[in-house]
Amino acid sequence: MALTFAPEKDQVRADLELPVIDGTNDGIKERALIATCECIARLGFAKTTLDDVARAAQCSRATLYRYFPSKAEMVRDAVRAEVMRITRAIHFAAQEQDSLEDTVVAVLLAAGREIGEHPALRYVANFESERLLPHLAFTGGDRFLSRAAKIITPCLEPYLGDKSNRAAEWIARNGLTLWLTPTDAGALTDPVALRAYVREFVLPAFTSEVKKSKIQNPNGRL
Amino acid sequence: MSDAKERVYSATYTRVARVGLDKTTLDDVAKEAEISRATLYRMFPGGREQILRETIGAEMDRFFISLANAIADASDIETCLERGLIFARKSLLEHAVLQKILTTEPEALLPIITIEQHRIVGEIAQYLVPLISAEKDRLRSDLDPARAAEFLARMVLSIIASPGRWDLSDPQAVHALVGEELLAGILQPRS
Repeated sequence: MALTFAPEKDQVRADLELPVIDGTNDGIKERALIATCECIARLGFAKTTLDDVARAAQCSRATLYRYFPSKAEMVRDAVRAEVMRITRAIHFAAQEQDSLEDTVVAVLLAAGREIGEHPALRYVANFESERLLPHLAFTGGDRFLSRAAKIITPCLEPYLGDKSNRAAEWIARNGLTLWLTPTDAGALTDPVALRAYVREFVLPAFTSEVKKSKIQNPNGRL
Repeated sequence: MSDAKERVYSATYTRVARVGLDKTTLDDVAKEAEISRATLYRMFPGGREQILRETIGAEMDRFFISLANAIADASDIETCLERGLIFARKSLLEHAVLQKILTTEPEALLPIITIEQHRIVGEIAQYLVPLISAEKDRLRSDLDPARAAEFLARMVLSIIASPGRWDLSDPQAVHALVGEELLAGILQPRS
């Protein structure tokens, strides 16, 4: 199936301000970023040291310091790399779909899976929520929604055209509240309940727009 | 709620407003409320942590009660949501103590707000059920008011705290948000 919405890799990178990992470091940087996630999943954010990461990445402390002047920068790069990976997973899930409803459900399920089953994120959410919540609540919530909407927008463009970004933020908001305040009505982990929730509350917010503006998706159905 | 507990909440709030969450000790609260440490522990077996959580919970209740009062005479669900969102966002931005702690100690405040939020979502939903049911002829035919109220409560809380693309000081924008997004799945589409 030929879909046009998969954005160029570099474009996503630029949009999300992701680090460009150059090819001159023999993969040490990548290994260190993966090791950072492993260490946080095991020890938590507060207790993870550059020493732990060096050991897990099987490189020396000195080498690690060449790439990451501080723990803060290492964690920031690890977060960016993970956002990149999750973005790809969401776009990949959306590519498999051929209707707007399926796309919205797939995007939310993929996001719920990637975020809910992320070992490092899980540790921080359960035991160090004070680290995570400033990025999800109040002005942090505004930033999260804006970034998540950017990631979701290209998945919707075949169906919603220039209304995609607004719809993407609405979908992201629904996802964020379902993640933070899970309910009987809808959970990101239950495909049947999630589809019912999406049909009932998420899609009506923009399906009228589709009819009004007569934007057709590549397969000509909604 | 007992008067004594109310006094502790008010004393704690005063201390927090003055020195922040981290620096508010049980002794400070005892002194401010003129209650002995022993009595405090009898009233709050969880100690300082419980006192802070309940004080923040009480302040959130106060916030949402004043919100409920501000929209009590709204004639339909649209007016109720529109006025509520505008009022709540304005109050939130004008809440000096909240804004100060959000800037200086978000890591201490946000976990407590998140815990209390689960209860608040339930309370807002309960408030909304009769307002939704009152729209009976305009509701989507298979709508369950309790389920719709729970959805609305969650979304409203999210929008008040993080409005995202919406300018909640602009009545026209709020009108669009309520009509086109929040109520799109709840009321029948206008013909």
